[in-house]
Amino acid sequence: MKPYFSCAGRRALHAPTRRDFVYSLGASLGSVAFSSLLAAETNSKLQTQNSKPASPLAPKEGHLPAKAKNCIFLMMEGGPSHIDTFDPKPKLAEMHLKEFVREGKMKSAMESGKRYYVQSPFKFRRAGQSGADIAENWEHLARVADDLCFFRGAQVDSVNHPTAMYQMNTGNRFGGDPAIGSWVTYGLGSANQNLPGFIVLPEVSYPQGGAANWGNGFLPAHFQGTPLRAKGSPILDLTPPKGISPEHQRQNLDLLAKLNTAHRETHAQHDELAARMDAYELAFRMQMEVPGILDLDKEDVRLKAGYGIGAEPTDAFGRKCLLARRLVERGVRFVQLYAGTWDSHDYIERAHGNLVRQVDQPIAALLADLKQRGLLDSTLIVWCGEFGRSPDNGVRGGTAYGRDHNPHAMTLWFAGGGVKAGHTIGATDELGDKAVTNIHHIRDVHVTLLNLLGLDDNKLTYFHGGRFKQLSQFGGQVIKELLA
Amino acid sequence: MKARALTTLLLTVTALSPAAKAAAPTAPAEELFARRIQPLFKEKCLACHGDDPKKIKGGLDMRTLVGLLKGGESEKPSIVPGKPDASPLWLAVTREHEAENWAAMPPKENDKLTKEQLAWVKEWVAGGAPWPDAKRLTEIAKSNADKWSAEDGIPVKTSGGLSPEWTNRRYKPENLWAYQPLTRPTVPEIGNRQSAIGNPVDAFLAAKFPAGLKPAPLADRRTLIRRATFDLLGLPPTAEEVTVFVQDKDSDEKAFAKLVDRLLGSPHYGEQWGRHWLDVVRYADSSGFANDYTRGSTWRYRDYVVRAFNSDKPYDQFIREQIAGDEMLENSKPQTPNPELLVATGFLRMGPWELTGMEVAKVARQRFLDDVTQSVGETFLGHALQCARCHDHKFDPVPTRDYYSFQAVFSTTQMADRPAEFAPGENTGGFEEKKYLEQRREFYLAQLKRLDDKSLAAARAWYAERKFDVKVFEQAVEEVTGKTGKRGREAGYAEVRNALARKGVPEAQIPPKLIGFAPEDYGHERIARKGLERLKWELDRFEPLAFAVYSGRTPEVKAVVNPMRMPANRMAVGELEETCILTGGDPFSPAAKVAPGALSVVGPIGSRQSAVGNDLAGRRLALANWIAAPDNPLTARVMVNRIWQWHFGQALAGNPNNFGATGKKPTHPELLDWLAATFVERGWSVKAMHRLIMTSEAYRRSSTFQSRDAAMPTSQQLDIGMSSYLTFKPRRLAAEELRDAMLRVSGELNPALGGIPVRPEMNLEAALQPRQVMGTFAEAWQPSPKPEQRHRRSLYALKLRGAGDPFYEVFNAPSPDLSCEARDASTVTPQVFALFNSQATYDRALAFANRLVTEAGAKSATGNRQSQILTRAFELAFNRAPKPDELKTCLVHWDAMTERHRTLKFEKPAPPRSVTREAVEENTGEKFKFTEPLEVAADFVPDLQPADASPELRGLAEVCLVLLNANEFAYVY
Repeated sequence: MKPYFSCAGRRALHAPTRRDFVYSLGASLGSVAFSSLLAAETNSKLQTQNSKPASPLAPKEGHLPAKAKNCIFLMMEGGPSHIDTFDPKPKLAEMHLKEFVREGKMKSAMESGKRYYVQSPFKFRRAGQSGADIAENWEHLARVADDLCFFRGAQVDSVNHPTAMYQMNTGNRFGGDPAIGSWVTYGLGSANQNLPGFIVLPEVSYPQGGAANWGNGFLPAHFQGTPLRAKGSPILDLTPPKGISPEHQRQNLDLLAKLNTAHRETHAQHDELAARMDAYELAFRMQMEVPGILDLDKEDVRLKAGYGIGAEPTDAFGRKCLLARRLVERGVRFVQLYAGTWDSHDYIERAHGNLVRQVDQPIAALLADLKQRGLLDSTLIVWCGEFGRSPDNGVRGGTAYGRDHNPHAMTLWFAGGGVKAGHTIGATDELGDKAVTNIHHIRDVHVTLLNLLGLDDNKLTYFHGGRFKQLSQFGGQVIKELLA
Repeated sequence: MKARALTTLLLTVTALSPAAKAAAPTAPAEELFARRIQPLFKEKCLACHGDDPKKIKGGLDMRTLVGLLKGGESEKPSIVPGKPDASPLWLAVTREHEAENWAAMPPKENDKLTKEQLAWVKEWVAGGAPWPDAKRLTEIAKSNADKWSAEDGIPVKTSGGLSPEWTNRRYKPENLWAYQPLTRPTVPEIGNRQSAIGNPVDAFLAAKFPAGLKPAPLADRRTLIRRATFDLLGLPPTAEEVTVFVQDKDSDEKAFAKLVDRLLGSPHYGEQWGRHWLDVVRYADSSGFANDYTRGSTWRYRDYVVRAFNSDKPYDQFIREQIAGDEMLENSKPQTPNPELLVATGFLRMGPWELTGMEVAKVARQRFLDDVTQSVGETFLGHALQCARCHDHKFDPVPTRDYYSFQAVFSTTQMADRPAEFAPGENTGGFEEKKYLEQRREFYLAQLKRLDDKSLAAARAWYAERKFDVKVFEQAVEEVTGKTGKRGREAGYAEVRNALARKGVPEAQIPPKLIGFAPEDYGHERIARKGLERLKWELDRFEPLAFAVYSGRTPEVKAVVNPMRMPANRMAVGELEETCILTGGDPFSPAAKVAPGALSVVGPIGSRQSAVGNDLAGRRLALANWIAAPDNPLTARVMVNRIWQWHFGQALAGNPNNFGATGKKPTHPELLDWLAATFVERGWSVKAMHRLIMTSEAYRRSSTFQSRDAAMPTSQQLDIGMSSYLTFKPRRLAAEELRDAMLRVSGELNPALGGIPVRPEMNLEAALQPRQVMGTFAEAWQPSPKPEQRHRRSLYALKLRGAGDPFYEVFNAPSPDLSCEARDASTVTPQVFALFNSQATYDRALAFANRLVTEAGAKSATGNRQSQILTRAFELAFNRAPKPDELKTCLVHWDAMTERHRTLKFEKPAPPRSVTREAVEENTGEKFKFTEPLEVAADFVPDLQPADASPELRGLAEVCLVLLNANEFAYVY
């Protein structure tokens, strides 16, 4: 609507510069109630100097035919063990507690000293008609096994949590790059102009690496992930301090509008002043309406029970899953959910056992709910951690074993639009130490994810720091085996 | 579809007689192939279409004409000689025919063909796509060598690329502007009015004014003093300063020059311009990544930068100190040690870095080397050297060899926090807050003691249960009690177990580790243990240490969990790194060895190039001297370009960190060169540049543009006006300026300079937001106890990489992970929440109101007094008096809000004394709670609170809140 001043540093050759906008839902939650303002402007035509430019979040055509419109990304932070969830290794039972020494130039302190192979404390079964390998403690997920496509060929570069998280979330280990959700909303916009295009539902405690995991990096601020905080005010300072009523605030806004209007007369050419005035009105309406969106009261009681809402230990993640469905239903392009931490160096039986209990029922309910509503075909679901875990253990401080970090093997699964459901792609060696077939760097997973959403990684670029940057960093390939 | 069918037909026909077509080429197309097309295929296509015959993508082999005519998997010939529009090759490289299934080629956006290259392809196909044989190609090349060489741009001598093609490639002269020797261009004459233009800056700008548009008039004095004060100090002028300047009887020029002098003499100047510098170098007080450990002594580097600007330290000296201060110190006379030289080298370590036990040490070391190489190149030379880490630079004459030569300068650079006495100019106040850290230490120790006692008790039960003899255990307890364990604290259960093992007690008869732990105890133990580790980093803040480097061998380190210190035998122990070209940037794939050096495209500067020797020490000083040499063409240009940008909000060369081919070309190259040459001539004085630039008419022009051309839309004229400096470009205040300006007008700002970082109040929920760091949770943000500590300038606020203050982030403060060449200023809705809804702004507004009422005293009658108060409010916030209708509106609002406040009751908020968190324990996967004490709360003195204010004062505060949110407050014109 109105241009604002922009900054040379973040400005790129083809980036929106002065003709960028404000009413964008911007850096965090945008406005909720201004659909009427925007309804007429959701065209995706290129802006020209004199035409009214479109919102940066207006829906745009992708580069390719999209198999899915939206994405729900289930981020299991901490690194869930593939060996104890979806990639059984019976060989480890034979080797249980056999000692060995890890060698090689790539050895870190984590891998030094005596190490022992350890078997999985979990039993496995084959679930669904597809016979997917799923550990028995995933009681609910087995019901939707035939909707899942497991991928065992992925590898990453980093063994530390934040760098691996950054790589999974942004493609760049060292942080500072845009998150997948930022790239996707930059490429596709978002169907609902009343909500941010990229929403994050973090744990109460932020993951290692913090908010940079959903940052917009060098992309314009409109594409930043908006965290809806799990406790307290969902968005910081969404409401004024206690005692300040909406009428009270309205009076202040009216005075502000008067002063700004008078001021604008002396600086009429500078459109960003009007844009900033609009932002105040939009924010005011937003603070009235956001709470309703988060309110799950009107959802069916049985459905909520199905998600595990109201019961422990599923309540927290159940709420996130149901909220994710509501957001996707309302056209939010990209929703990322966090659950963790899966960093079970010790007591993996207890630690992973508890975590699975927290997420198993909600995830199965989410998939079933989306399917029942006909949304599964248009939604891509991704489940992953930042890396897998080792078949062996250094038996650090604990009295019961767990597993260490492993960038060479992990399991991700996909479900929904365009995904080859009911299949397991790729394999790890007999110990689960390394991927051995259909090996792909995580960049290829990113390229594939974009492809499913109708985006070509090689075209989804932004000029920054002297070159066109892209999610995969330097290009990658679609993992065709994952596609239906 | 019809078109495609036809194409196929044509292709089939032509494919029958390729030889015939090729046999009768037109000469220009043949020449074009030799000169352009073959090299282009090699550069852009053959990697996937022929270089590796076993992996030919899409089945298309482009090594021969036969291959091209055969086509790929589509089974259609890729070219139809004579018919570009029917040739898939052409359709693919245009990137415009994807709808017809001709995928864009090359696939990556970065590799797409230029307009010129596209024209060659089209012309070659149209000319019959001739493909002469090797012999003919050689003949063509030979006979045209001189002509091509003259036309194809300039070869550039470098140390040489990984391939001869790269080494011999030619560059467009316009992409080499930054390497040209720096000469001082003649100041242009404008018509015959040379004498009328007093400042050469204006002469250079006027020479490029667009036709038909005239410069805006000079801004009025009120606007100018606000502009200049924010520019140089990052603060608004006081009402008194405005009056003095407006009433100055001297000419506008003279009065403004005096103003600039006064501002440059203010100690706050260094804070504002130091902040710009800290954006570029990525200043932060923590290390980022998994642990985000506190960096105790970085604040001394921050203050060094402020002092450097304030004292107008010559920029060449500033460069040398930051790159090689430690080496300069060693070379200097021992009688005059200057610890500041160590502090300055903190620059080299500003990037995020850590080495956890999870990571391979060599990989982490390489991360440091890559970071410092990139940072020095970007900061001082305007070159993103990282582009040449894995391959020769795609666009610039920077070979990978140079990248590693540059890096070799740092291969003996090691990180350490080194002893450096506090200098007289440093602020060492506020050290008493160390007591809070000591309290925290006691807390953690008590936690561990409690858990130890629990384990000891459980161990005794364990013995009883098994009916083992507990005597040996009790002996061990006796032995270790009162001793210091290996973690530097009182020995406990772990040491008892060790003692038992030493006594030869079989493992089966030693009670297990962490025995007796309830599920939440694992978390408690970890938080206390890791908390003690984290405190060590924070406690360094109060020690006379410099966040610095030294030259020496690379020590063997597996993990860095304590602040690093310099080893005694740094020249003898550890690896002497020999830098090699790393294939693909991988430290485990070394190729050819390289010697330390600088950028070969710039070449030797005087005797400087050869001075980078192979000795352990002295490499950095040699490089610094090379960079800071007056005839280094990049250095001065890069810095004056930054200075210009920080004054005008737009740079002359649009990407201050990138002077290479992909950076924006200078809009006014002669002006840039003239400024750079002048900068060097005037002894690299940054303040001289300020005086020169700010006294120009361009700097003093109004931001209100007089539209001249009825045919052109106003917004377009304004764009042109601003980019050609016909009119001044307004700007929104940066995040720090916004907060500092609020504190200034509210009268709360504590103008003290420097010192350990302070913690202003942050949104309480953000302050207490739990945050995972490696193995534990980071400490809560506890605001400094005293208002005067909290109300320091934003520059001094503790800056943690893992927990940025949402207020700064939402107002576009850059992340300290990437160098920021210029700030963004986008308007997004959450800014409204941060400025209009936050407790912080309400607090500022109330303090502002209180200041107004206090200063007004009780002397005059109500109506008049209220007007005086509001007039003063406008003068402070906007540097002008209110207009009558504004005054009236505000009066009405004040009264209305006062009435409203008569019905409102506010309670005094009590700062929380502790925070209880729920977390998932990684050992058990179970939720557990832990309580973190908030020690500072005991001494916390709140700002003036609504509960302490009268309804009248609170009513006035509402007016103040609105003023602080007004556009006129947030923008500088």
